[in-house]
Amino acid sequence: MAYSNKVIDHYENPRNVGSLPKDDVNVGTGLVGAPECGDVMKLQVKVNPATGVIDDAKFKTFGCGSAIASSSLATEWLKGKTVEEALAIKNTDIVTELSLPPVKIHCSVLAEDAIKAAIADYKKKQGTSVEKGADTHDQPTA
Amino acid sequence: MRSGTLNVPGIVGFGKAAELCRQEMESDTKRLSTLRDRLNARLHKGLDEIYINGSMEHRLPHNLNISFAYVEGESLLMGINDVAVSSGSACTSASLEPSYVLKALGAGDDLAHSSIRFGLGRWTTEEEIDYVADKLTTVVTRLREMSPLYELAKEGVDLSTMQWQTEGH
Repeated sequence: MAYSNKVIDHYENPRNVGSLPKDDVNVGTGLVGAPECGDVMKLQVKVNPATGVIDDAKFKTFGCGSAIASSSLATEWLKGKTVEEALAIKNTDIVTELSLPPVKIHCSVLAEDAIKAAIADYKKKQGTSVEKGADTHDQPTA
Repeated sequence: MRSGTLNVPGIVGFGKAAELCRQEMESDTKRLSTLRDRLNARLHKGLDEIYINGSMEHRLPHNLNISFAYVEGESLLMGINDVAVSSGSACTSASLEPSYVLKALGAGDDLAHSSIRFGLGRWTTEEEIDYVADKLTTVVTRLREMSPLYELAKEGVDLSTMQWQTEGH
């Protein structure tokens, strides 16, 4: 498997590994994937309730190097974004940034799912809910 | 005239290998199984929740296959990329299916994804065995700290009864 330098970097120096308190009302937790599939991502965001900005994000991943890199990158991108900006992150952005080969695209899809699940959990706790929309997963054109 | 082309170097080499094998099988079996058992013991000393796939009794002397719970196989391979081993994880196969051999041996899908296959050879040394065991112990420990499954298990959650969200995967 030929890994891009960025995937290797995220594997050797993962960003934001850890956990935020699940019971904090400003923390949203997304847990996606399944052990049987070989991919499980837990992604958490801590939102500033006054500004709607994600102040902190943490992840833990059971999966291959590309899965670890995708979720690590996701936490990097989430910090400083508003909740709505976070929902606009597409799996194809992750594929491009990490130069993921076709066989690893599903890792980026799972990372996008994890972001959306974390935001949905946060909104549920705040009493506002996310609209169930059409499938937002893009296939890269390259 | 000849009916085809035979692999003469292969035939001669295979014959010689069979001769050497007959001469050295007993001593080599002892040497390899001792090294293999040393690797197994050293891994068990440094790590908990690791499981041998297949029988240790009915097994080739130079082979070991272990699942390291809560850590995925391909991410393990990345951490020991100066060591030649392989994994039965889905991520390391072209079909994205875990090893059907491990499944036939009774490994659940999750442990199949966490497996490493070790193959020792005539040039494997004791130093190399110790190096691999110690490096793998460090990598598994680090990856477990990054694993949501390890976190859940430490909290006392029974992973086999959890409902996993797999929508869109």
